[in-house]
Amino acid sequence: AAFERRVLRSAAEHHYLRVRLELPDGAARPSAALFKQLVVTALRELHGEVGAALPVDVLTYEEKTMSAILRVISSGFVKLWSALTLLGFYQNRRCAFRVLQTSPFLLALSGNSRELVLD
Amino acid sequence: PSCLCSPFPVGYSAVALNHVIDLKEKKQEIVKPLPPAELFPSLPIVQGTSKQIKVLNRLTLVVSDPSHCNLLRSTSTNIRLYDIIAVFPKTEKLFHIACTTLDVDLVCINVTEKLPFYFRRPPVNVAIDRGIYFELLYAPAIKDSTMRRYTISNAISLMQICKGKVSTHRENKVINSNASGPLELRGPYDVANLGLLFGMSESDAKAAVSTNCRATLLHGETRKSACGVVYTVKKPRKVEEEETTLPACKKAKTQV
Repeated sequence: AAFERRVLRSAAEHHYLRVRLELPDGAARPSAALFKQLVVTALRELHGEVGAALPVDVLTYEEKTMSAILRVISSGFVKLWSALTLLGFYQNRRCAFRVLQTSPFLLALSGNSRELVLD
Repeated sequence: PSCLCSPFPVGYSAVALNHVIDLKEKKQEIVKPLPPAELFPSLPIVQGTSKQIKVLNRLTLVVSDPSHCNLLRSTSTNIRLYDIIAVFPKTEKLFHIACTTLDVDLVCINVTEKLPFYFRRPPVNVAIDRGIYFELLYAPAIKDSTMRRYTISNAISLMQICKGKVSTHRENKVINSNASGPLELRGPYDVANLGLLFGMSESDAKAAVSTNCRATLLHGETRKSACGVVYTVKKPRKVEEEETTLPACKKAKTQV
């Protein structure tokens, strides 16, 4: 295959995602607790009760930009990411989750080469 | 047009505008697509490079009757203006015809309702050999939970038919959005992750968003430009059975 993924034995326990919620203009911004509830709702809609029970933590949350860093156990990474992708509505309004960065290491989320500005 | 402003930060480098024509209704004509330059005065730049986003035109024909296919065969001039042609068959016979004989680049798989027919392996194999890709849409999955179920179940059944095929190119699926607003679009890696949900391997899922889409574009280009192929073949020399008794200059000069 042109693209191959290798999983190392001593794989990291958790995966970290930096996500941003996009809402239409004028919508109320969720607080941290509501944000966590939204994530759990997304998991429940796609993967049911077992998905909603996945241990997900919101490590940081900025209400102004609605961006957060989530931590999830590595076995549930694909479930969480697909649940966030397919979430359509928040309080009867369209919304979209943009996943900006993911990594098994938290340090890697500090720098983003896509937003690099070269002098 | 407003929804086209958001693929840019999301990370796509080419976008196709889709014109859907449902041939069930009467008096449908294939309209000329607007050239992208008229719609957007300046195209935004691909994230991370300094090139502009490519905007292409695409035609989707919803066929529910074999007579609709005649539209494709007739070389109407407007068809040539589209970069990609996709067909959306509604019955099993049409699916068979689309895979084997129709001159298209993509075959759309319905995701909004339960498939009225089952996939069979022979037409799918022929389609893969011809270079036709199957398309799955993910925007309905974002809107509604019933559609989500249908999307996933149809995708899984398509995967089951295509798997186990003994061939070098197992990657034959394309995942597209049918977004009707900027908030229905998802980034390329998100969509590749959806491919994992449908049962693809990780390399297949990434290819479904990148390589296969590009292959479809190239297929469309070859379809537009190729009228015939001329190739030369080396003809094997005829071996003389007898040893020549005549000197060379007197040999019959009819040898090729």
